[in-house]
Order: sequence, then structure tokens, then C-alpha cells
Amino acid sequence: MSSPTLPPGLAIQKADERIMTLNVGPQHPGSGHMRIIVQIDGDYIVACDPDPGYVHRGEEKMAEYRNYTLNVPHLERPVIHDSCNILYPYVLAAEELLGLEIPERAKYIRVIASELNRCIYTQYWLAIYGIFLGHSTMFMWPAGDRELLIDLMEKMTGARVTHSYFIPGGIRNDLPANFEDVCLRQVNYFEKRIKEYADVFYNNPILISRTEKTGVLTRENAIKLGTTGSVLRASGVDYDVRKKEPYDVYDELDFETNVMKDGDSYARSRIPWLDMMESCRIIRNALQKMPKSGSVRVKLKPNPKGELGSVYKRIESGRGALGCYIVSDKKVEPYRVKLSVPSFRNLIALPHLLIGEKLGNMPSVYWSLNYWPVEADR
Amino acid sequence: MGTATGIIRALNSGIKHIALKRFTLRYPEEKLKFVGDGYQFDPSTGVGIAGLKGRHMLFHDHCTGCQLCSIACEGVAEAIGMVKVPEEWKQNKKSIMPQIDYGKCVFCGLCVDACPFYALYMTNDYELSSFSKEGLIYTPAQLAVKPEVAQDSEIQISARGATHG
Repeated sequence: MSSPTLPPGLAIQKADERIMTLNVGPQHPGSGHMRIIVQIDGDYIVACDPDPGYVHRGEEKMAEYRNYTLNVPHLERPVIHDSCNILYPYVLAAEELLGLEIPERAKYIRVIASELNRCIYTQYWLAIYGIFLGHSTMFMWPAGDRELLIDLMEKMTGARVTHSYFIPGGIRNDLPANFEDVCLRQVNYFEKRIKEYADVFYNNPILISRTEKTGVLTRENAIKLGTTGSVLRASGVDYDVRKKEPYDVYDELDFETNVMKDGDSYARSRIPWLDMMESCRIIRNALQKMPKSGSVRVKLKPNPKGELGSVYKRIESGRGALGCYIVSDKKVEPYRVKLSVPSFRNLIALPHLLIGEKLGNMPSVYWSLNYWPVEADR
Repeated sequence: MGTATGIIRALNSGIKHIALKRFTLRYPEEKLKFVGDGYQFDPSTGVGIAGLKGRHMLFHDHCTGCQLCSIACEGVAEAIGMVKVPEEWKQNKKSIMPQIDYGKCVFCGLCVDACPFYALYMTNDYELSSFSKEGLIYTPAQLAVKPEVAQDSEIQISARGATHG
């Protein structure tokens, strides 16, 4: 990481007199519920220390006192905009421990719900990214278009944001009548809409000049720091859990992963947008291949007990690889539930990206990491 | 692409939106349309029926006072408490029925999944705000009332964009 070049007249002063420590957060809307301690020299950042932990909710401990079914509503709370995806690894792991075989139709509906949720999350993230760059049109458009998909999720699950839809044994309810047509129509229109973002946002020279070549994460650093998801793919590593370790029916569906080589803020903001178009393709494909009728949920015994052992499952969420590790000791409640979240992994890269950047670029670099404070603290 | 062309294309893309229809739902005047009569659950098949997870509806003639909804809610929100009701039903000798505190309820619907007697469903009623905390507590008598919910607008997609018709 290069240090900033200083004008010759200023460079002779002592370092400790020049450097100012600045707290960004924890109440600042630009940081979410976390603090970034930055040391600045004039306009340049010389050191950065992210300080998460302000919204720790004890989700993992709470999960040790509830049975496998009742864990569902509270485990989706860390990322309410991506609530199907954060439940996905938990549900997959719990099903393996409980020895359940899931009906084929439920697997397809889960994939559709998961992809819709990925788009909902990404649209929200994109809206905030627009606000961070002072681009208010990019706040309004994604926030409005997100409504198309929220409407679909509401028809499907009965709730707009916290769905509680996935459950060990399948899904809570079957699709409503005539859902396939409505879904296809709204997803097609949604895809047409997000393609319009190209002119106003992604090809906009003002945005490109602000985000290109800022916060560059090289391919080697991205692998070494253990980043995942869009951050890793923006640095040129083709890694997507949906492709590498397919879960449910992802191996039967037709989609591609998007990779960019630059590793800067611009690439990191473009990858989720391209992923949304792939999500639309997956949804259409899944609607086509889905069995038209059949069971969607295995009937569970009251208070099922998990087998002795432990299971680790991973999925690709809106932010990256999300894992869940469950240890069971043959009781009604799990012995331990551990969530391995992508937000926390990506945050590690922040100090490496900000050094040498201007303070004004900090919000866009920070938010391009796809970081969600509550998920990191869980 | 040059800087000037890029800026003009960005502006042009925004100007096109003047001709599009308004997408915003004018909420108190217009209300969203939902599928079905709310989330329900069929204990014989073990699968729910799609619908909005709104306020609950209690069927007094089915409720046996078994407390399964209350036990399910203990692990989620502790919103359901069992209270004495004045009437005595032949299937509910204990005369206890659920009372729901909507200040705590998270609308997950697991109480509906827990009920084996078709006694507790959810409805499309989502306008539950109240000026006091006591007003959020719904007694068994209040829960038995079927709500009247206005539903008039749905997303419609045409060549001039999407709108809440």
C-alpha cells in the first residue's frame, strides 16, 4: 500500500502534530452501526481501524435454548433484507442433522426465494451506495424497483421483509395460485429496469471518475485476506459457492458467475448489479424446471432431536459465502450454532484499502465491501 | 465514450422517466391487494396456505385451550398469554384462550403452525397501531372478529412502466 506523497513544505513537520484521529460512527449514518477510526493527514488517510461490535445480539447463544424450528424467526434477524439467505445454511445443516429428505418442489421454491432475496438485498445496498456518492436518482430507482420483488415475496411468504419462510423440512407454504405468471412478468420488468441503471449510474463518467482506481484490492490480497462474494469476484477470482459446491438444485440450473479484474470500488459495485441479472435468469429457469405440483414440506415430529455429530453448510448469500455450523448432542436444542458471515470476512480488507485514499472516498470504498454491521456482530 | 456524451446519456435516461407512470402507492387512500384471506395452516398435511401474516383470528368454537400456540411463542416473542374467558365451551372446559400482545408479536406465524385444531389463523389486517400499550393487547373476544380490509390496488405493468393501478 503506497503512502501519500506530501508537498515538500509540509513534509518536514513532525508526524504526531500533523495526524488527526477521526471517529466515523458509531452513530453516523454513513457507517451503519459501527465505528471506523481513521487517522488523517490533511485529506489523506494514513491509518484505519474498523471497530465493529455495537449491535451484538447474541444470536448464536440464543439458538442454544430453542428447538430447531423455533430458531427460525430470530436467526433471520441479523440481515432482514436477505432473510431467506441467512436462514438457508442453518436450514440445510439442521435437515442433515434431523435426517430429513426434502421434496423436489420445495428445493426449487427455495432457490427462487433465495434469488429474489438476493436481488432485494442488492437493490437496498445499491440505493445506499447511491446516497453515499450523492447520487439521489440512484437512491430512488433501486428503492422503488425493489418494491416489485418485495411484492412477490409478500405473495409467496406473507411478509414483506422478515419472511420466516425456510424451515427444517422444506418451506412453510406452497406458492399461491397463478404465482408463476405474476413472478415471470414482474421479474422480466425488473430486469428491464435494472438494465436502465447502466446509463444513469454505471456508465456515468462522474461515477467512474469517483470510484475507478480507488480502494484497489489485488487478487493476491483478496485471497490472502479471505474475502468472499462480490469483493473476491471483483478482484478476479472466479469463486461462487453456487458453482463450486452446489446446494439444493443449483447444479441443474443454467447461470454464470461474473468476474472483473480491476478490484477497485467500481468493480465491486458493478458485480452485484451483474449478479442481479443472473438471478433473474436463475428465477426464470427455476420456474420452468420446477415440478408443477407435489409436497413442499416434510411433516416433522413434535420436538425432533438431532443426531449426534456436527454439520457445516455453506451457501452464497447477497454478500458472499455464508456458513452455518451446528453441533448436536442428541437433544431437542442444538448444542452450538455458529454463523460464519461474509460481512465480517470482507471487513478485514478495509484497512488495506483505505490507506493512501482521500477521506472523501472513504464512504464509497467502505460500502463497496458489501458490509452489513448487524450481520458481522450477530 | 467521452465525458460529455456520458453525461448527456445519463440526463437523457432520467428525462425519459417524465413520460412514465407514477409507481408510488398512495398508501392511506390506496391499499395493496393480497392473495387469499391471510396465512393459514392445514395440520392434516402439515403445509401452510399462502397469505399475508397479519393480525390473528381465533375461532372460539375450535379452541380447546391446549396452550400449544403459547408454548410455540415462548421461544419466539412471548406475545401469547392464556387468559380466562367467561363462556364455557364443551371442548374447552378450562375456559382459557390465547390473548395476543401485538407490541411483542413478530408475525412469524409459528403459532398458527402449532395449532392442531384449525382454531388460529392469520388475516390480512395489518393496521394495528394504537395510542397506548394496552391498546395493542387483543383479548380473545377481539381476536374472534373477522376484519374488514380494503384491497384495491395491484402492480400493473404496461409499456408505460409499472404502476399501482
